[in-house]
Amino acid sequence: MDQLGFLFAANLCVWGGIFFYVLTLKKRQAALERDLQLLKEESGKDGD
Amino acid sequence: MAEENSSKEISSSQGGLFWLTAGTMLAALIAIYVWVPTEKNEGIIQRVMYFHIPCAWLAFFAFFIVFVSSILFLWKKEREWDIYAHCSAEIGVIFCSLVLITGPIWARPVWGVWWVWDARLTSTLVLWLIYVAYLMLRGQTEAGSIRARYSAVVGIVGFLDIPLIHFSVLWWRTFHPKPKVISSEGLGKGMDPSMLITLGISLAAFTLLYCLLMGRRVALERTKDEIDRLKREKLYSS
Amino acid sequence: MQGYFNQIFAIVWKDFLTERKTRELFSSMFVFAVLVIIIFIFSVDLSITRANEVGPGVMWVAIFFSGAIGLNRSFMLEKENGCMQGLLLTPADRTAIYFGKLISNLGFLTLMEAFILPVFMVFFNIDILPHLFPLLLVIFLGTLGFCAIGTLLASLAANLKTRDIMLPILLYPLMVPIAIASVRMTGEILAGEPLSEMLNWMGLVVCFDFIFIGAAVMTIDHILEE
Repeated sequence: MDQLGFLFAANLCVWGGIFFYVLTLKKRQAALERDLQLLKEESGKDGD
Repeated sequence: MAEENSSKEISSSQGGLFWLTAGTMLAALIAIYVWVPTEKNEGIIQRVMYFHIPCAWLAFFAFFIVFVSSILFLWKKEREWDIYAHCSAEIGVIFCSLVLITGPIWARPVWGVWWVWDARLTSTLVLWLIYVAYLMLRGQTEAGSIRARYSAVVGIVGFLDIPLIHFSVLWWRTFHPKPKVISSEGLGKGMDPSMLITLGISLAAFTLLYCLLMGRRVALERTKDEIDRLKREKLYSS
Repeated sequence: MQGYFNQIFAIVWKDFLTERKTRELFSSMFVFAVLVIIIFIFSVDLSITRANEVGPGVMWVAIFFSGAIGLNRSFMLEKENGCMQGLLLTPADRTAIYFGKLISNLGFLTLMEAFILPVFMVFFNIDILPHLFPLLLVIFLGTLGFCAIGTLLASLAANLKTRDIMLPILLYPLMVPIAIASVRMTGEILAGEPLSEMLNWMGLVVCFDFIFIGAAVMTIDHILEE
């Protein structure tokens, strides 16, 4: 049953890796959206 | 207005893709852990294969997309293709790393060693190094035409190198211990139909996952472009 | 066609003249290669391992390491003095620039190898004279492949801020096939096997040379474009 540990580790790596990547993507996207929003607001002010 | 519409469209199609991917992934998980019988020789650890191979397939597929987009970029010089190449390379490196991590974990209980300098392992490692270098090149040049052109050249050259790397490491180590399930004679030889089906579902799930991640990653890059454009506009107007 | 060869020759001649004046490139490459060999001899105990097995690997590592220095240096000089700008302004074909740099890099590296080979022979106590012709052929083909991909990547890396580190990082994974093939063939030749025994390796190296010279010709326009 030693193999179970290895199987678990492999699973953890794959799903953890994918999950972590998706999380980073989400975070980066959110940060960018915030920047975008700020920029748009500012340019709106300038336009007026 | 038009922009908002298109972004909504993207997100709705992304939503459909998301649920499709989630469903297939769930089916794959059930098939892997509940349905498929345990392999006799290797035991339960053999179930690693059902995501080890899809990850490898995905990495290779992603690198192929990098190659195609790089060629199209040099041909048409459209930013679109540069984005595809960049995003695909990143996803490819992620999955290549997963292959390189799960490989030793699978090998340790089965072959008794973490790593053998076997042809397939070695070429995956070299492939990983090539595309890490590709991403580093992208990271160290400023956004613009130069970065796109240079990385396109590396993307093309890197993919052209793959068959050569394959043959060289194959002849370099001809005495590698043959993995039991993936024999060099062909995939699926000596595999139970149920195992093949499970592998198929898993492959489909991972391919869908690639599309999903790719969509997200491309959207991110587009947002970045949009921000750059706005910033530039602001700079020029002030 | 005549004009094209003249362009290539002009670039090679220019590099040769610069080198004859400064003697920077050759001396640094040669000394570095000798140092690599010596460090390897210290780190691998030759009394335990047989020199015949380790030797070819050490020799090729020395060639590749000092070759990377040479490649970096050759484009750095162009960059520093604004020479690249001048080259690009001339009506010379871009592929002619590539071939010119390829030939001059190949020339310097071959010259360096001509000096490093005796050093190698003495330090490792390997008698290379009976196998000289096949050995020279193998070394030439390997060096050609290395320079073909190296010149392309060096012309690319020359425009980066971190060119010193990016060139090896890009170059070494890509030349894995040539490294394996060259070391293998050199080892077999030193063991006294005829060239006909290693046709597959030979084919691989020739394919590598052709593929990457071809790829460079197709893509160099996009790199040398300002």
